[in-house]
Amino acid sequence: MTASETELQLQLKDSHKRAGAFSALVRLYQERLYWHIRKMVLSHEDANDVLQNTFMKGWNGLDNFRGDAQFSTWLYRIATNETLSFLSNKRLRNLQSLGSIEDNLLHNLQSDSHFIGNEAQLKLQKAILTLPEKQRLVFNMKYFEEITYDQMSEILETSSGALKASYHHAVKKIEKYFNEELD
Amino acid sequence: MEPNKTLEQIGTELPFKVPENYFDQFASQFEETIAAKKPRHITLRKKWMSIAAMFIGILVLGQLLYKLYDKQTVNKQDNYEAYVLMQVDEASLVDCYVNNSSK
Repeated sequence: MTASETELQLQLKDSHKRAGAFSALVRLYQERLYWHIRKMVLSHEDANDVLQNTFMKGWNGLDNFRGDAQFSTWLYRIATNETLSFLSNKRLRNLQSLGSIEDNLLHNLQSDSHFIGNEAQLKLQKAILTLPEKQRLVFNMKYFEEITYDQMSEILETSSGALKASYHHAVKKIEKYFNEELD
Repeated sequence: MEPNKTLEQIGTELPFKVPENYFDQFASQFEETIAAKKPRHITLRKKWMSIAAMFIGILVLGQLLYKLYDKQTVNKQDNYEAYVLMQVDEASLVDCYVNNSSK
Protein backbone atom coordinates (compact mmCIF):
# COMPACT_ATOMS: atom_id res chain seq x y z
CA MET A 1 0.00 0.00 0.00
CA THR A 2 1.43 3.40 -0.97
CA ALA A 3 1.70 6.41 1.36
CA SER A 4 -1.12 8.17 -0.46
CA GLU A 5 -3.40 5.15 -0.02
CA THR A 6 -2.67 5.14 3.72
CA GLU A 7 -3.30 8.89 3.88
CA LEU A 8 -6.60 8.53 1.98
CA GLN A 9 -7.71 5.74 4.30
CA LEU A 10 -7.04 8.00 7.29
CA GLN A 11 -8.99 10.83 5.67
CA LEU A 12 -12.04 8.56 5.42
CA LYS A 13 -12.41 8.90 9.20
CA ASP A 14 -12.67 12.70 8.92
CA SER A 15 -16.25 13.63 7.96
CA HIS A 16 -15.09 16.79 6.15
CA LYS A 17 -12.53 14.97 4.00
CA ARG A 18 -14.47 11.74 3.60
CA ALA A 19 -16.16 12.36 0.23
CA GLY A 20 -12.94 13.67 -1.35
CA ALA A 21 -10.88 10.76 -0.06
CA PHE A 22 -13.44 8.21 -1.22
CA SER A 23 -13.57 9.77 -4.70
CA ALA A 24 -9.78 9.54 -4.90
CA LEU A 25 -9.95 5.89 -3.87
CA VAL A 26 -12.60 5.25 -6.54
CA ARG A 27 -10.20 6.67 -9.15
CA LEU A 28 -7.42 4.51 -7.74
CA TYR A 29 -9.26 1.17 -7.69
CA GLN A 30 -11.98 1.50 -10.35
CA GLU A 31 -10.02 -0.11 -13.19
CA ARG A 32 -8.86 -3.12 -11.17
CA LEU A 33 -12.35 -3.72 -9.82
CA TYR A 34 -13.98 -3.16 -13.21
CA TRP A 35 -11.86 -5.89 -14.84
CA HIS A 36 -12.39 -8.18 -11.84
CA ILE A 37 -16.16 -7.88 -12.41
CA ARG A 38 -16.08 -7.77 -16.22
CA LYS A 39 -14.28 -11.13 -16.46
CA MET A 40 -17.19 -12.72 -14.63
CA VAL A 41 -20.20 -10.94 -16.15
CA LEU A 42 -18.55 -10.46 -19.58
CA SER A 43 -20.77 -7.60 -20.79
CA HIS A 44 -19.66 -3.99 -20.31
CA GLU A 45 -23.14 -2.77 -19.33
CA ASP A 46 -23.47 -5.39 -16.60
CA ALA A 47 -19.93 -4.73 -15.34
CA ASN A 48 -20.74 -1.01 -15.16
CA ASP A 49 -23.89 -1.68 -13.08
CA VAL A 50 -22.08 -4.01 -10.69
CA LEU A 51 -19.17 -1.57 -10.32
CA GLN A 52 -21.57 1.25 -9.40
CA ASN A 53 -23.30 -0.97 -6.83
CA THR A 54 -19.90 -1.96 -5.43
CA PHE A 55 -18.76 1.61 -4.80
CA MET A 56 -22.18 2.65 -3.54
CA LYS A 57 -22.15 -0.20 -1.03
CA GLY A 58 -18.62 0.77 -0.03
CA TRP A 59 -19.65 4.41 0.46
CA ASN A 60 -22.76 3.55 2.49
CA GLY A 61 -20.92 0.96 4.53
CA LEU A 62 -17.77 2.94 5.33
CA ASP A 63 -18.43 2.54 9.05
CA ASN A 64 -18.17 -1.24 8.60
CA PHE A 65 -14.60 -0.91 7.34
CA ARG A 66 -12.63 -1.64 10.48
CA GLY A 67 -9.20 -1.27 8.95
CA ASP A 68 -8.07 -4.82 9.83
CA ALA A 69 -7.70 -5.52 6.08
CA GLN A 70 -6.48 -3.25 3.31
CA PHE A 71 -9.13 -0.96 1.84
CA SER A 72 -8.59 -2.52 -1.60
CA THR A 73 -9.18 -6.01 -0.15
CA TRP A 74 -12.41 -4.79 1.45
CA LEU A 75 -13.57 -3.31 -1.88
CA TYR A 76 -12.58 -6.50 -3.72
CA ARG A 77 -14.75 -8.49 -1.29
CA ILE A 78 -17.73 -6.21 -1.93
CA ALA A 79 -17.16 -6.42 -5.71
CA THR A 80 -16.96 -10.23 -5.54
CA ASN A 81 -20.16 -10.50 -3.51
CA GLU A 82 -21.97 -8.07 -5.80
CA THR A 83 -20.82 -10.00 -8.87
CA LEU A 84 -21.92 -13.36 -7.47
CA SER A 85 -25.30 -12.02 -6.38
CA PHE A 86 -25.76 -10.35 -9.79
CA LEU A 87 -25.11 -13.72 -11.47
CA SER A 88 -27.41 -15.59 -9.12
CA ASN A 89 -30.21 -13.05 -9.78
CA LYS A 90 -29.60 -13.46 -13.49
CA ARG A 91 -29.80 -17.22 -13.03
CA LEU A 92 -33.15 -16.87 -11.24
CA ARG A 93 -34.52 -14.64 -14.00
CA ASN A 94 -33.20 -17.14 -16.54
CA LEU A 95 -35.03 -20.13 -15.01
CA GLN A 96 -37.87 -19.98 -17.49
CA SER A 97 -35.66 -19.88 -20.58
CA LEU A 98 -34.29 -23.05 -22.12
CA GLY A 99 -30.57 -22.29 -22.12
CA SER A 100 -28.31 -21.87 -19.08
CA ILE A 101 -27.02 -18.50 -17.96
CA GLU A 102 -23.57 -19.52 -19.29
CA ASP A 103 -25.09 -20.07 -22.76
CA ASN A 104 -26.70 -16.69 -22.42
CA LEU A 105 -23.42 -15.00 -21.44
CA LEU A 106 -21.60 -16.66 -24.32
CA HIS A 107 -24.29 -15.71 -26.83
CA ASN A 108 -24.13 -12.07 -25.69
CA LEU A 109 -20.33 -12.12 -25.80
CA GLN A 110 -20.26 -13.27 -29.42
CA SER A 111 -22.43 -10.35 -30.48
CA ASP A 112 -20.81 -7.80 -28.13
CA SER A 113 -19.12 -4.90 -29.89
CA HIS A 114 -16.82 -4.54 -26.86
CA PHE A 115 -15.39 -8.04 -27.38
CA ILE A 116 -12.20 -7.75 -29.41
CA GLY A 117 -10.77 -11.25 -29.03
CA ASN A 118 -9.65 -13.67 -31.74
CA GLU A 119 -10.97 -17.21 -32.17
CA ALA A 120 -8.58 -18.71 -29.63
CA GLN A 121 -9.51 -16.12 -27.02
CA LEU A 122 -13.21 -16.76 -27.62
CA LYS A 123 -12.55 -20.48 -27.17
CA LEU A 124 -10.79 -19.75 -23.89
CA GLN A 125 -13.82 -17.76 -22.70
CA LYS A 126 -16.05 -20.70 -23.67
CA ALA A 127 -13.81 -23.06 -21.71
CA ILE A 128 -13.83 -20.75 -18.67
CA LEU A 129 -17.64 -20.68 -18.77
CA THR A 130 -17.71 -24.46 -18.30
CA LEU A 131 -16.16 -24.03 -14.83
CA PRO A 132 -18.28 -23.69 -11.69
CA GLU A 133 -18.74 -20.03 -10.70
CA LYS A 134 -16.33 -19.96 -7.74
CA GLN A 135 -13.65 -21.82 -9.72
CA ARG A 136 -14.14 -19.35 -12.57
CA LEU A 137 -13.49 -16.57 -10.11
CA VAL A 138 -10.28 -18.20 -8.87
CA PHE A 139 -9.08 -18.95 -12.40
CA ASN A 140 -9.71 -15.40 -13.62
CA MET A 141 -8.00 -13.83 -10.62
CA LYS A 142 -4.91 -15.99 -10.97
CA TYR A 143 -4.63 -16.26 -14.73
CA PHE A 144 -5.49 -12.72 -15.86
CA GLU A 145 -4.83 -10.59 -12.80
CA GLU A 146 -1.92 -12.61 -11.40
CA ILE A 147 -3.13 -12.02 -7.86
CA THR A 148 -1.07 -13.96 -5.33
CA TYR A 149 -2.72 -16.82 -3.46
CA ASP A 150 -2.23 -14.93 -0.19
CA GLN A 151 -4.07 -11.86 -1.49
CA MET A 152 -6.74 -14.06 -3.01
CA SER A 153 -7.07 -15.88 0.28
CA GLU A 154 -7.82 -12.58 2.05
CA ILE A 155 -10.36 -11.50 -0.56
CA LEU A 156 -12.21 -14.80 -0.89
CA GLU A 157 -11.67 -15.81 2.76
CA THR A 158 -10.53 -19.27 1.67
CA SER A 159 -7.23 -20.99 2.49
CA SER A 160 -4.34 -20.60 0.03
CA GLY A 161 -4.09 -24.40 -0.25
CA ALA A 162 -7.70 -24.74 -1.34
CA LEU A 163 -7.26 -21.91 -3.87
CA LYS A 164 -4.13 -23.53 -5.33
CA ALA A 165 -5.96 -26.83 -5.72
CA SER A 166 -8.96 -25.07 -7.28
CA TYR A 167 -6.76 -23.21 -9.82
CA HIS A 168 -4.82 -26.34 -10.70
CA HIS A 169 -8.08 -28.22 -11.25
CA ALA A 170 -9.45 -25.38 -13.39
CA VAL A 171 -6.37 -25.41 -15.65
CA LYS A 172 -6.73 -29.17 -16.12
CA LYS A 173 -10.40 -28.79 -17.08
CA ILE A 174 -9.61 -26.04 -19.58
CA GLU A 175 -6.84 -28.10 -21.16
CA LYS A 176 -9.22 -31.04 -21.36
CA TYR A 177 -11.80 -28.80 -23.04
CA PHE A 178 -9.20 -27.72 -25.62
CA ASN A 179 -8.18 -31.32 -26.28
CA GLU A 180 -11.79 -32.44 -26.72
CA GLU A 181 -12.36 -29.60 -29.17
CA LEU A 182 -9.33 -30.81 -31.15
CA ASP A 183 -10.64 -34.39 -31.40
CA MET B 1 -10.04 -22.41 -38.70
CA GLU B 2 -7.30 -21.61 -36.20
CA PRO B 3 -5.58 -24.63 -34.64
CA ASN B 4 -6.20 -25.27 -30.93
CA LYS B 5 -3.73 -23.45 -28.77
CA THR B 6 -2.51 -24.03 -25.26
CA LEU B 7 -3.14 -21.53 -22.48
CA GLU B 8 0.44 -20.31 -22.80
CA GLN B 9 0.01 -19.56 -26.47
CA ILE B 10 -3.27 -17.73 -25.95
CA GLY B 11 -1.70 -15.48 -23.34
CA THR B 12 -3.26 -13.47 -20.55
CA GLU B 13 -4.42 -10.41 -22.46
CA LEU B 14 -8.09 -9.68 -21.93
CA PRO B 15 -10.17 -9.68 -25.12
CA PHE B 16 -12.47 -6.87 -23.98
CA LYS B 17 -12.53 -3.13 -24.43
CA VAL B 18 -14.38 -0.31 -22.70
CA PRO B 19 -16.01 2.78 -24.26
CA GLU B 20 -13.69 5.74 -24.68
CA ASN B 21 -13.09 7.81 -21.51
CA TYR B 22 -15.21 5.34 -19.58
CA PHE B 23 -13.14 5.42 -16.38
CA ASP B 24 -12.88 9.22 -16.27
CA GLN B 25 -16.61 9.54 -16.75
CA PHE B 26 -17.37 6.84 -14.23
CA ALA B 27 -15.26 8.51 -11.53
CA SER B 28 -16.76 11.97 -12.22
CA GLN B 29 -20.32 10.68 -12.15
CA PHE B 30 -19.69 8.79 -8.96
CA GLU B 31 -18.14 11.88 -7.39
CA GLU B 32 -21.32 13.84 -8.17
CA THR B 33 -23.49 11.08 -6.73
CA ILE B 34 -21.70 10.92 -3.41
CA ALA B 35 -21.47 14.70 -3.16
CA ALA B 36 -25.27 14.67 -3.09
CA LYS B 37 -25.56 11.68 -0.74
CA LYS B 38 -23.95 11.51 2.67
CA PRO B 39 -22.98 7.99 3.76
CA ARG B 40 -25.55 6.33 5.99
CA HIS B 41 -24.01 5.91 9.38
CA ILE B 42 -25.41 5.68 12.86
CA THR B 43 -23.71 8.25 15.04
CA LEU B 44 -23.01 7.72 18.71
CA ARG B 45 -25.66 10.33 19.56
CA LYS B 46 -28.24 8.48 17.49
CA LYS B 47 -27.36 5.25 19.28
CA TRP B 48 -27.86 6.89 22.69
CA MET B 49 -31.12 8.42 21.53
CA SER B 50 -32.47 5.02 20.48
CA ILE B 51 -31.42 3.47 23.82
CA ALA B 52 -33.14 6.34 25.73
CA ALA B 53 -36.28 5.95 23.60
CA MET B 54 -36.32 2.24 24.40
CA PHE B 55 -36.14 2.95 28.18
CA ILE B 56 -38.92 5.54 27.95
CA GLY B 57 -41.02 2.98 26.08
CA ILE B 58 -40.43 0.38 28.79
CA LEU B 59 -41.36 2.91 31.52
CA VAL B 60 -44.60 3.96 29.76
CA LEU B 61 -45.57 0.34 29.17
CA GLY B 62 -44.76 -0.50 32.81
CA GLN B 63 -46.90 2.39 34.03
CA LEU B 64 -49.83 1.29 31.86
CA LEU B 65 -49.60 -2.29 33.04
CA TYR B 66 -49.40 -1.17 36.68
CA LYS B 67 -52.51 1.04 36.30
CA LEU B 68 -54.39 -1.84 34.74
CA TYR B 69 -53.37 -4.17 37.58
CA ASP B 70 -54.30 -1.52 40.19
CA LYS B 71 -57.72 -1.00 38.65
CA GLN B 72 -58.37 -4.72 38.66
CA THR B 73 -57.40 -4.92 42.36
CA VAL B 74 -59.79 -2.04 43.25
CA ASN B 75 -62.52 -3.74 41.27
CA LYS B 76 -61.87 -6.96 43.17
CA GLN B 77 -62.11 -5.08 46.50
CA ASP B 78 -65.38 -3.38 45.42
CA ASN B 79 -66.81 -6.72 44.35
CA TYR B 80 -65.82 -8.32 47.65
CA GLU B 81 -67.51 -5.54 49.64
CA ALA B 82 -70.70 -5.89 47.58
CA TYR B 83 -70.58 -9.65 48.04
CA VAL B 84 -70.28 -9.36 51.84
CA LEU B 85 -73.08 -6.81 52.01
CA MET B 86 -75.32 -9.10 49.99
CA GLN B 87 -74.98 -11.81 52.65
CA VAL B 88 -76.26 -9.52 55.43
CA ASP B 89 -79.95 -8.70 55.79
CA GLU B 90 -81.13 -5.07 56.27
CA ALA B 91 -82.19 -5.49 59.93
CA SER B 92 -78.71 -6.70 60.92
CA LEU B 93 -77.14 -3.80 59.03
CA VAL B 94 -79.34 -1.22 60.83
CA ASP B 95 -78.53 -2.96 64.11
CA CYS B 96 -74.83 -2.75 63.35
CA TYR B 97 -74.99 1.01 62.46
CA VAL B 98 -77.04 1.81 65.66
CA ASN B 99 -74.57 -0.10 67.83
CA ASN B 100 -71.57 1.67 66.21
CA SER B 101 -73.10 5.16 66.65
CA SER B 102 -74.05 4.54 70.28
CA LYS B 103 -70.47 3.50 71.22
